[in-house]
Formats: sequence, structure tokens, C-alpha cells
Amino acid sequence: MDTYVKHTGRVSQTFIYLGKLFRMFIFRNDWKALPMAAFISGLVSFVVGKKMNVSMEGTLRGAFAFSCICIWNGFFNSIQVICRERHIIKREHRSGLHMTSYVFAHMIYQAFLCSCQAAITITVMVLAKVKMPSMGYVTDPIVDMFFTMFLITYAADMIALFISSFVKTTTTAMTVVPFLLIFQLIFSGGFFSLTGNAYKLSYLTVSKWGLTSLCAQGEYNSLPMTSLWTSMSKMRSMEIEGQKPVDELLDYITASKRKDELMLECGSNNQDKRYESSAENVLKCWRNLGIFIALFAFLSVVMLEFIDYDRR
Amino acid sequence: MTRTTEFLMFFAAQILETIGMWRIFVKCGKRGWLSVIPLFRQYYLGVCAGRDGEGRMLALLEAGVDASIVSCILFEVGSLQYMVASFFFLLVMIPYTIFRIRVCFVLCDAFGRNRFWVVPWIVFDWLCALIWGLIPSFKTAEGYPFDEEEAAPELSGLEVDLDAPGLSINITRRTAMSFLKRKVLLRDIHLNIPMGHMVLLLGGSGSGKTTFLNAVTGYEKAKAVITLGDSDVYKQYNSMKYDIGFVPQQDLVRGSDTVYRTLSDAARLRLPADYTIDKRRNRINDVLDTFGLTPVKSSLVDKLSGGQRKRLSIAMEYISDPTLFILDEPDSGLDGVMARSLFEKLRSIANTGKIVIVITHTPDRVADLFDDVIVVAKDAMRTGRLAYYGNTIDAYEFFGKRSMEEILMSVNRKEEGGEGRADDFVRKYSALKAGGMA
Repeated sequence: MDTYVKHTGRVSQTFIYLGKLFRMFIFRNDWKALPMAAFISGLVSFVVGKKMNVSMEGTLRGAFAFSCICIWNGFFNSIQVICRERHIIKREHRSGLHMTSYVFAHMIYQAFLCSCQAAITITVMVLAKVKMPSMGYVTDPIVDMFFTMFLITYAADMIALFISSFVKTTTTAMTVVPFLLIFQLIFSGGFFSLTGNAYKLSYLTVSKWGLTSLCAQGEYNSLPMTSLWTSMSKMRSMEIEGQKPVDELLDYITASKRKDELMLECGSNNQDKRYESSAENVLKCWRNLGIFIALFAFLSVVMLEFIDYDRR
Repeated sequence: MTRTTEFLMFFAAQILETIGMWRIFVKCGKRGWLSVIPLFRQYYLGVCAGRDGEGRMLALLEAGVDASIVSCILFEVGSLQYMVASFFFLLVMIPYTIFRIRVCFVLCDAFGRNRFWVVPWIVFDWLCALIWGLIPSFKTAEGYPFDEEEAAPELSGLEVDLDAPGLSINITRRTAMSFLKRKVLLRDIHLNIPMGHMVLLLGGSGSGKTTFLNAVTGYEKAKAVITLGDSDVYKQYNSMKYDIGFVPQQDLVRGSDTVYRTLSDAARLRLPADYTIDKRRNRINDVLDTFGLTPVKSSLVDKLSGGQRKRLSIAMEYISDPTLFILDEPDSGLDGVMARSLFEKLRSIANTGKIVIVITHTPDRVADLFDDVIVVAKDAMRTGRLAYYGNTIDAYEFFGKRSMEEILMSVNRKEEGGEGRADDFVRKYSALKAGGMA
């Protein structure tokens, strides 16, 4: 009993748990996350896809919607995975399980799941004839897009994994999800104008960096802005001193075939520096999403190291 | 009203409440100075009322209320911080008031006062604290504290020899901190189990059986010295963890894996790294055979019956061939025949020189399979104590009963339908051991 006997190390344990997770993928219906991703992205492509990467407003709306579905996918991939087997992990930890191996196995498995979901989302976008970015800033445009969606999904996945590592029950985990989602949606900075401290909070959201990356790849700042033309069209019938100046102006612009020029000009006057289309900007977003992934994976390990303190 | 005036009023109310509470605590037999610390003040008010749980919650909420009041005073009206503090104040005031009502209701009973006093307690707590604390006619009701117990049996302190072969257990005490109060869950348990013995662990609900097992395995450490052979379980746990098998009450298995895979993963995790694949496979097949799981080895765990799942849970722990094998209610959910068959398997494991300790709530159907019985019972202070450890046959004589269930009834508390004689047997066993040792 006194002699030291070597047992399975971290690498072998990672493979043991990886095997368990992939068997779960087959037997516990975890694979259903994939058709769900296809269904949601189909729905979003149908609603916002046509204007994405076509106009500023459509791109912002589309990027927001697609980053939201990535976050949704990521959250639901892993929000229950640890808490539903917390008692088992506690026992296994007492029997020699290394938490680093356990979390690393989850990271590999979730990376597989997230990459499948990102690939499915892009395939659905292509099938739904959503306009794809014309140029890639880091690699190929489709690969850039895939990588961004993968990182958004994976970062959200790691946040959910962290939540799952410290809540005790699946009910609590599912109660936390809506709050996380609301936080991501409100503080993405895409739809609600944020100022001061609220703007600083947006730096802590996956949605901000995902949205920024998608907008940058979609060349947001080079796209026409349609909202002014749409608003003016609604005011065609407005009369001033018996005349209809808006109607006349719009007719003139249309007749002189300068509508597109006007919308482009309108867009160039409303550029947003945050969405600058450059390799640096895209890489910065990826880096920040990468930080989320590493940080929350690390925090998950730290939380799980305290699992022995769980009481009955 | 200026901010300074507001702050002074808040501060003055706190001082007056502290003075009143000091006296109330003294009247309730607690230390008066505890009222100086706001968090303690609310908690001990709950304790005085005999409601520890509510007092605990009240203390936490009080901290929230005080923090938000101070924030409201410090920050400018209309500022974001002020708004957040006000919102927080509103949020915590609702449960705070509810818990305050709960505590005050019982406090009125403790002081023999009308429950209408709750209203002034909620509105002007500092004034009520002063009245109840300083006026001599406000004193605790007759018979307070209402739940006081008789004195618990004294400690035996008869430690067993740690060098004896087998499992030596010397638990001085096992405590748990619950907020500001330390609760003693187990105390003064000393025994030695020889190798090859199968031991029944008997005790009523909440007597500390599982706590005892967790303390023995180091799962939840106690102030104790536990040795298995020459090794100290607590100090050398890392090298011993594969030598201790612990099967908890619930089945800790993943439903989506096959039986063979589940066992194979457990084997890879627990068996030494130098085990060859063939050697490991043979061990897995042996264990599958021992627990009658070979016919279902390809089935998903989710598809197994209750008995098969239980056997799989046990097999997972048994795979590393532990010297000490502990099982917490392995027969729960099993019918008599299956339970008997399972315990016979455990008996055969004990016969190979292992120590097997088992908790079961239906001991009589398998009592003949055990060598010894440990009886853990709650004493007057509701602490788990050793009421008996020894041969099963001698146990009947010691308790003057004819079955294990009757023994259990004799040590169970009266409110649980038992005879409430735990303290008698704890004393009797201590005397017996002291006599034996002398």
C-alpha cells in the first residue's frame, strides 16, 4: 500500500472522457443540436438573409441575428453537460479524475460540435442565397466567416460550460440562460446605442465581438445606407406651400439614376469606425473571442477543483 | 433634511437597537456583545427566537438593507448609483420584512407577549429593542428555551489502537459550520474492524451514518485518525484512493454508455497504468461475472433494471479490488431475493480478506451474513454517537432485543416513533468498553 503505483495520467484520461462524450453524442441524442442549428439558421436566413451584406442596415441586422443564433447554439450545447452529472464527477474526482482532463475533453468535444454547427449555418446561408462577403481579410471569405461563427459559438459554449460547472442543478442552469442571453443581446452594441459604462460593458460580451467581426467581413462601411431613402419615400406626399418637394426631389434623383449614388454617399457619411473592414479588426475580434474561450475554460477547471466541497 | 442629518438618524437608530438587543440577548442567555455586529445581531435575534434558519437569512438580508441605505445616503439623489441602491433596497426589503415578521412572531412567544408586537417591531425596531431589552418586566417566558435537551452522555475517550490490523477508526468529532454556528455531527467514535469482516452500519434517519462513512473514507474529513493497515487514510489518501471503494446511495453511472464501456472506463481510471490490455480485459470480465452483468454487458445503462444498475455501481468500485469496501444502501429499490443475492456476493468479497461496511434499512433479511454491527445514534444534543460496536449476536443481548429493527427502534428518538434510549445505550456501551479495557 505504501509503494507508489502509477495510474492513468491526464492525457489518457482526456481520451477516456472524449470517448464518453462522443458516445453520448450518438446515444444520448446530443446530435440533435446539429439539425436544430440548421433549422434556426434557415429561419434567420429566410427573415434577414436577403439584405445581409447588401446594405448597412441589412448587414447589421443580419450580423446581429447570426451572432445571436451562434450564441444560442453555444449556450445550449453545454449549459447542462456538467451539472447533470455533478455527483458522478465528484465521485470520479475522488477516484483520481483530473479536472483539467475532464474540461479539456469537453473543450475538444464542444469544438467539434461548434465547428459542425458553424459549417451547417454557413451551408444553410449559401443554400438560402444569402450574399457572402466578397473578400477574405485573413483567409478565404467563407473560411473567415466560418471561423468567426465557430469562435462566437465556441465562446458562448465555454461561458455556458463555466455556468454548468458551478451551478448544482440543471434547473438552475436553465434559469440562468435567459439572463445570459438578454445580457448578450442588449450589450452587443448593435441595436441599442450604448454610452458610458453601458458601452464599456459591451466589451464583456461575445455578441459585440462576433457582430463586429461579421460586419467587418461584410464590408459594412462600404455598403449603401437605405434607411434615408426609405424614410424619404414615406414622406413623398408631404406638402409645403402647395408643393411636394420631397416627391420632386426623389423623382429627380430616380430620373437621373443617382439613387445608388445617394445611398452610397449616405452610407459613407454614416460609417462606423468599429466595423472597419481590415485584417487587424477581424483578428482583434477573433483574439478577444479566443480570450473568452480560454478564460472560461480555465474558470471551469477552477470551479470544478472545488467539487469535493459539495455537500449532500 | 440634509444628508448629514439622515446619516446621523440612521446611525443613532443602529446604536439604540444595539443597546436594546444587548439586553435582549442577555435575557435569552446569549452573549450581549454579539449585538454590536449588525450581521450577528439579526442572526442571534433568530437564535433567541429559536429560529436559526430565519435568523441566518435575516442577517444576510440586513447586510443588503444596510448597504443599500448607506449607498443611498452617500450618493447624490438622481445619480445612477442612487437609483441602483434604491432598486436594490426595494428588492431586499420585501424578503427582509417577511423574515422579520417570522422571527418576531416567535420572539413574541419566547417572551410571552402578544403577537401584535410584531407591527411595532417591524416599524420601529430600535424602539422595541430598547423597550424589550431595558424594561425588566419583559423577560423570557417560563420554560424558555423550549427545546432545551437534557445533557448528552459524557465522552468515553477510549481510543482504539491504531497499529491494530484492519481498519482503525478514531473520530474525535466531525463538525459542520452552518453560517455562524458550528454543529457537531459526530463525536467520540472509536472502533477497530478486523480484515475479512462484513459490518452492518445501523442507525435511524439523520443519525449520521452517511456522515460517518464519508468521514471514514475521507470524503468529508473529520477531526479523526483513520488507519487502514499501516496507512493513514487522511494523510495518504492520494496513494490509497484506489484501495477504498465507496458506493454511495444513488447510482453514479452515465445512462448513455454501455455496461462494458462504463466498466472499462472505470478500469482505465482506477487500475494501475502498467496493467496490460489483456490483464485489464480479464479483470473487467471477472467483475462482470461476479456481479452477474455479463449477459447485459452490451446494453445501454439506461436500459438496465434497478438491480442491474446497482450492481454496475458496485462493480465500478470493485474493479480496483479495494481492501476497504463501503456501500451506502446498496439494496435500496431491490426486492428481497435480489437483495439477499447481492449481500451474499458482498459476503464472498469479505471472505477474500476485505473489509465490507454496509448501510441498509432492511437489515434483518440479511443479518446472518454480517460479522459485526455498528449502531450510530443521535444523542440529546442531536450528535451522532456510537451506541454499539461488536458481534451481531452479542448486539441482541446488549440491546435486549430480538431483531436489528427492534435495536433500531430502541435508539431512535421518540418523535421518530422510537423508544428514545440512545443516550442510555451510548453510556452503557462506554461503560462496557471502559470495563473491558480496564
